[in-house]
Amino acid sequence: MEQFGVQLVNFSKLVLLAIVPYVLASQGTMLGGRTGIFNVAQEGIMLVGASIGFLGAYLFDSLTIGITLALLTGALFGLALAYFTSTLKMNQFVIGLALFFTGLGLSTLLYKFVVGITLQPPLIPTLKAVKIPLLSEIPILGPILFAQNWLVYIAILLSLALYYLLYRTRFGLDLRSVGENPKAADSLGVNVPRMQYISTIAGGALMGVAGAYLPMVYTGTFTEGIVHGRGWIAIALTFFGGWSPLLILAGSLFFAGIDVLALRVQVGGYGIPYQFLLTLPHLATILMMTLAFKWVRVPSFLGQNYDRESRTLT
Amino acid sequence: MGMTLSSSPYSYSILQERLPLMSRVPLLEMNQVRKVFGQNVALDDVSLQLHSNEILGLLGGNGAGKTTIMNILYGLYKPDAGEICLRGEKVSINSPRDAIELGIGMVHQHFLQIESFTVMQNIILGTRSSSLPGDQRNGEKERITTMARRFDMDIDPDSVLEALPMGARQKVEILKALYRGARLLILDEPTTNLTPQEVDSLFKSLRVMVEEGMSVIFITHKLREVLEAGDRITVLRSGQNVITTEISKATEESLVKAMVGEDLDVSKSVIFSQKDVQQTAASTEVGPILEVRDLRVNNDERQLAISDCSFQVHSGEILGIAGVAGNGQRELVESLLAIRPRLSGEISYQDRPTIDEDTRSLIEAGVAYIPEDRWSDGFLPTANVAQNLILGYHRTPTFGSGGLLDWKAVFSTTRTLIDEYNVKTAGPDELAANLSGGNIQRLMIARVFSQPIELLIAHNPTRGLDIPSTEGVYSKLLDAKDKGLATLLVSENLDELMLLCDRIATIYRGSLVGILPRDRFDKYVIGRMMSGVQSYE
Amino acid sequence: MSDQHSTNTARQALARFTPYLLAIIASFAAAGIFIAAMGFNVFEAYETILFTSFRTQNGFIQTLLKFAPLLLQALAFTIPLTAGKFNIGGEGQLIVGAIGATAVGILFTDLPAVLLLPMVLLGGVIAGALWAAIPAWLLYRFNINEILTTVLMNFISFSLIDYVATEIWRDATAGHPTTIPIGSGGELPLIISKPPLHVGVLLVILVAVAVQFYTSRTASGYEMIVTGANPRASQVFGIPVKRMFLMSLVLGGVLAGLSGALEVSGVHHRLIEGLQSNFLLLGIIIGLIAKGDSKTVPFVAFFIAVLEVGASALQRTMMVPVEMVFIIEALVLLFVLLSDVVRRR
Repeated sequence: MEQFGVQLVNFSKLVLLAIVPYVLASQGTMLGGRTGIFNVAQEGIMLVGASIGFLGAYLFDSLTIGITLALLTGALFGLALAYFTSTLKMNQFVIGLALFFTGLGLSTLLYKFVVGITLQPPLIPTLKAVKIPLLSEIPILGPILFAQNWLVYIAILLSLALYYLLYRTRFGLDLRSVGENPKAADSLGVNVPRMQYISTIAGGALMGVAGAYLPMVYTGTFTEGIVHGRGWIAIALTFFGGWSPLLILAGSLFFAGIDVLALRVQVGGYGIPYQFLLTLPHLATILMMTLAFKWVRVPSFLGQNYDRESRTLT
Repeated sequence: MGMTLSSSPYSYSILQERLPLMSRVPLLEMNQVRKVFGQNVALDDVSLQLHSNEILGLLGGNGAGKTTIMNILYGLYKPDAGEICLRGEKVSINSPRDAIELGIGMVHQHFLQIESFTVMQNIILGTRSSSLPGDQRNGEKERITTMARRFDMDIDPDSVLEALPMGARQKVEILKALYRGARLLILDEPTTNLTPQEVDSLFKSLRVMVEEGMSVIFITHKLREVLEAGDRITVLRSGQNVITTEISKATEESLVKAMVGEDLDVSKSVIFSQKDVQQTAASTEVGPILEVRDLRVNNDERQLAISDCSFQVHSGEILGIAGVAGNGQRELVESLLAIRPRLSGEISYQDRPTIDEDTRSLIEAGVAYIPEDRWSDGFLPTANVAQNLILGYHRTPTFGSGGLLDWKAVFSTTRTLIDEYNVKTAGPDELAANLSGGNIQRLMIARVFSQPIELLIAHNPTRGLDIPSTEGVYSKLLDAKDKGLATLLVSENLDELMLLCDRIATIYRGSLVGILPRDRFDKYVIGRMMSGVQSYE
Repeated sequence: MSDQHSTNTARQALARFTPYLLAIIASFAAAGIFIAAMGFNVFEAYETILFTSFRTQNGFIQTLLKFAPLLLQALAFTIPLTAGKFNIGGEGQLIVGAIGATAVGILFTDLPAVLLLPMVLLGGVIAGALWAAIPAWLLYRFNINEILTTVLMNFISFSLIDYVATEIWRDATAGHPTTIPIGSGGELPLIISKPPLHVGVLLVILVAVAVQFYTSRTASGYEMIVTGANPRASQVFGIPVKRMFLMSLVLGGVLAGLSGALEVSGVHHRLIEGLQSNFLLLGIIIGLIAKGDSKTVPFVAFFIAVLEVGASALQRTMMVPVEMVFIIEALVLLFVLLSDVVRRR
């Protein structure tokens, strides 16, 4: 019994550790979507974030520099998306796919260019847990919640802050209005492109960090398959969370839980083929989409470009 | 009045400065404004003036450029040439924000509202006071309520927009402008969704506003409304100024000529004819072409949109469906075409129950449709003109056989129809997105009448058309009726229905509240039925 | 009239071709800066990239062998795109198609070629179609966004191929997850035997012609085009839109499945993990560069095959990472897309 308790605490701790990439990428998706820009380049941005984050940490011997570089790269991808869609009015999915390829190609190219082809891949240290004094002493909850690495705290606090920003401030009201009816927002003096640029750049930055987190928390190495569909799953999570920050945070527990479960069962070796466990998150995502997407409300103008002078829009 | 409004977030408006000699300098001057969309000159050096404390009627058919020039004034469109002066001072307006800061407000024809937000959120959006935390907004709430009451509008700031009727939503639009301290209010076709009674009350509110120091530009294509509500009239036609005149000096005839121009022989026109269209005795001995009994249909939100609806349409008659938009017209029409499933009730077409029919087989059996929203429901922007023209009829033997398409036949038919219906296009393989709104609608009409049809369902077929095009649609409908076509004409334009129909049924909240024969048509009676005040047996 | 028509067509062809030429020149110029910055000889690099395919017979055959799967993958993307749907699952459909072909080839290993070869190809086609039918059905029945489901199905297929190649028909002698070979009757005949070039390349060209015929001449193809142009209007005018969505995605699966079967039957004669290469990404890039037009796709596919073969040579001879070509391809796509924006103004 006691052993089961310890396992449960351990499990919960690992789940919180695993929510970070999902939460960051998904909140980033949500932010863009709230102004109507539907980013589908998560997988690519996360890959390039992972690559640059890893290389930054490896070259400058500092995880913080790695994360900062990944953040900036992600922001740059967000800026590109905003420019091509908000300014040039090009198809959001096509541009998203193009950015996805670019991220994919760039991540391997940069890694090969810096590291070269080696037999022994270089390693970086992983993120250390930051124990919060007093709070981490609380039985059960303490070790789960308050002895994590700092990005776990950031992911949770960010979700709460985004909720406040979107639903309790003028900026949030204006931002949401752009994704619902940009023409109405525009006619009332809201600066539509500015909102789209801000949200898409911030969203891209979050995705970059989400990618950088992966080599820094699990293996300490970069591989081409490191993101393994998490970017796409983050899109599903965003729908699943109804494009609202708190529900996304809650939903991330589910997807992170599946991740950890698959890992545990694999290590435990219960006779289930590991190939099946590897693909559990993807199966679970498809299942969740089938069951839950009917009720979800999405921003009305999601995926469409707003052109002030277009006469077809009423 | 001045007190309430000057406490608005935009209190530094030029319009609020009380300059001496203000009667000399017009409040607003727009000079030689030009706007081109692609190859289409929407405004060709148009000028207009607005004085303080007046209502200017901006009159013209669709496509005359009325909305375009007002969108320029409101900063939504960038003009290609021309200048705007407020109180003699040249201003540049690059966005709605600039317009708002100058004290200009605009109520758009299609309301620009966020349906999932509350009235309050819609009103304060984009203003500085929306940054106030929740409890401090209560003051704002009171301000909005007071302002609404002042103009006889009773509205709860906390109700969500999508739950409100059209009349109330229009009031929200006006409040949005007033809240921002608008001293110059632009109303774009404000009567579109109102009953005749609501129109009267709107005009009363406008008069109150003008008396309290505001100025109004009122866009309309309805002559009578502008004669009733305006002080002065400017008439536009095909993007050009025609005349500007005082109401007292204007005659109906001179305004009609100004709106229509030389393209149309007014004396032969259906629209302006003085003599009444004859009601045909519907041929009842053969039975109705379309019969609907106890129909019940849901809307997209799975709420009941049509309940217990019964009527018949006979060969050689036009049955009109009157009603304010959003009372179930769309759901009714779509269920008749099997685009939308019905909950219960019977629809029979030529004595054949259509319960198992799909849209394709109905179209093949001679049911034709002119959709209300041609952009979304009838038109393929990225396809060419020919591809658009055969939509729905592409499997008829004229256009091919054995699952193959005969493009030669399609193109030659298309060329014939382009000539016959006067569609302005480079040819059958021109990209349809290049066509203007009027030409797209001609394409829709040509598509329908190019086929042997028995029943026509037309939903707002003249919305957005200029006067000659509207005229063309009317004469086509009347011609086809004479040849025995059964027509169901669903329209939000009561004048149109009263002009063309043999009988008018009025729809209110998804039910037919009465069917009037032609000799008992009365605008105000139908208006009362449209607002659910009166039903009629 | 017909004269005017033909000059019109000529002008249209020119108008369509010019932006491509400009885009290629612009992207090579831009990528050249990158290559120079990395310290390589730009002209030498471009010479290798562009002419490796044409200098030797081997180079040309390698190019054709790339061309076949790329063309199929691109069509597997553009056919659903015609109906307005994004199939990002061509990779999974290829893998599962390859698994299907291998399964048939191993299970019926002793059958003669007359029977086995069509069965192997059909096995791949059906498996690919079924794999695509899952997201297609989810879209049809539950209205689930196909972008996400098709892409997630790829990840599932990675596990599937790994399981098949390491657990079911594992070839114990291979160092890499690989199955035992299929029966020799399942192998595609060769046009040239050294270096080997299989007849699948001709089959692929036939498929491209058929696709073009379908979209431009048949009533069903017309329905697919108008569904993509405006699904709502198509539905209002009696076209079974949801069925068109379903059909377009399954048809994409058919072609992607065929590409998997050709890799097994024509090239490897067994299932090898990783045989999907980066065909999906390149296929999508080709489809987007061709703007979804099935007439243009084969030409773009050939061009990209030339670049890919050239890039491999570049890595061998000059040690430039093969991913370099990715930058060029992405840039070509970008400039082609931008040319639309320029024309719109």
